[in-house]
Amino acid sequence: MRVKLLAYIPSRELLNIAGEMSDLELLSHLAYIFAVEGISRVCSHQLVRHRAASYSQQSQRYVEVERLRDYVVTPKTIEGRGREIFDALIEEASRAYRRLIELGVPREDARFVLPNATETHLMVTMDGRSLLHFFGLRCCLRAQWEIRELADEMLREVRRVEPKLFRRAGPYCYQLGYCPEGRFTCGRMEEVKKRYSSLGYGG
Amino acid sequence: MRLRLIASTPDIEPLIAAAILTTTGSKPSEAYEALRRQPRRAERIVERLEFHHGSVFEHNRLCWLLEAEDEAILELLLRSRFFQLSRLGDERWLMSANLRTVIEYIRQHRDPIAEALLESIGEVAPTVYKRLRGETSK
Repeated sequence: MRVKLLAYIPSRELLNIAGEMSDLELLSHLAYIFAVEGISRVCSHQLVRHRAASYSQQSQRYVEVERLRDYVVTPKTIEGRGREIFDALIEEASRAYRRLIELGVPREDARFVLPNATETHLMVTMDGRSLLHFFGLRCCLRAQWEIRELADEMLREVRRVEPKLFRRAGPYCYQLGYCPEGRFTCGRMEEVKKRYSSLGYGG
Repeated sequence: MRLRLIASTPDIEPLIAAAILTTTGSKPSEAYEALRRQPRRAERIVERLEFHHGSVFEHNRLCWLLEAEDEAILELLLRSRFFQLSRLGDERWLMSANLRTVIEYIRQHRDPIAEALLESIGEVAPTVYKRLRGETSK
């Protein structure tokens, strides 16, 4: 996974002219544009559920998958015998896809056999306020590991350029001071607080 | 009504072009860096783009200082719900939106705000400006 903040408006440009403004108000006028590369379709499906954002994603209608096994994301939990099953399925899917293309099936239909593990690239733009909500949900230990890694990388990137503005960003327990997950709480708030007070600040 | 662009995402047109190339297979970070170095190439891509394929115009933000009466602001919000506004003082507003919102407003309305919005993007999105200017002068 590779995440890069491509462009943004520095907050000082607005504050110099607009004057005093709450961070939340300010964040709603600022947008952050990211390149996100090498995530699985599992991850991108979760990402695009955040509707207050803009996405431009690699198209499987226009882009043919060349060697599927070189472009899949494999979870760390899949190892040993599990890895053999996983790799066999990827090989089979790859063969089926290539065969369908050779038979003249259009890419937009041949892609139906591609697995969720297939890598994808996309450009993502979110305003600062939507980013806070995204971090609140997806940096949480209850989030799935790949989108949590993505959210952490995005948080590192925005903290690099706006360290003060995003100091309170992170999972909701870190933002609010309490866990809003109720009976599903991980119970590890102190550990989480420690992590997000230093993430991207050399920690 | 007075409107002045006070901030915008840098390299708006290379970002639009990079978004298009991302959908057709390029890595967005590499496409963006290449297009920043080749502004003429970015311009050619943006020139060919259909305005109704709007989502690639969303990878940016434009911020304006707007001086207008409350009634004009209400009218604007009734016409497009995608403008973000913060009241700064009496008849002074901070307004922001992405280029898609601006393009759609300009193409759908012929009013002083549409004209002021169009004028404001001339420097930050010159290819889009030229195309819209061509359309609105017909």
